[in-house]
Amino acid sequence: MTDERAQTSLQAGLKKSTFTLFLATGAWVGSTAIMSFGPSTLWSYDASTTYLAIAANLIIGLVMLYSFFKHLSAMDEMQRQTHLEAIALTLGITMVLTVIYGALPQARVLENVQPTNVLFVIGVSYILSVITLWLRRTRA
Amino acid sequence: MKNRLKVLRAGRDWTQADLADQLQVTRQTINAIEKGKYDPSLPLAFKLAALFGMPIEAIFSPDRE
Repeated sequence: MTDERAQTSLQAGLKKSTFTLFLATGAWVGSTAIMSFGPSTLWSYDASTTYLAIAANLIIGLVMLYSFFKHLSAMDEMQRQTHLEAIALTLGITMVLTVIYGALPQARVLENVQPTNVLFVIGVSYILSVITLWLRRTRA
Repeated sequence: MKNRLKVLRAGRDWTQADLADQLQVTRQTINAIEKGKYDPSLPLAFKLAALFGMPIEAIFSPDRE
């Protein structure tokens, strides 16, 4: 039996959940862009439209979160454990680096800190953690 | 945790992919269990025991033993 045949249903479930997560993440990024730049470029700071954009962003964010849980459920147990450990590592790394980063203006090393830079740290930490943990378990 | 998975699998002439298919996990998971790099959950250990028709302790043993 080949790998392809053997893993059909597991991989089909994972493929479907990955696609759903991709769509939900894309929608969230799009709605975040609209929420951020819409007031100045699309609706001239109309307050009710801005509230609507914020509400849409929140709802789509929750849908993305739900899609991520479904994606975790579709994984096999070693994949799931790898991702959960990566999430734990990411939390720790982000906490430590955010405290340092937040202290930099007080220490006059940086003038301004951008909260959005923390998102970059989260993304990079998570990706590197998943790759490292997965290779540790699967490398010969 | 040590295990006899590779020996038991080979005894039935199954590939890692065959076993993975029956357990609904990835081939990489079977490989990691065989190499002792990943300890399976209790439900997966029970599935393995049922598949090979033997108790869990006949497949898995603690490292210290």
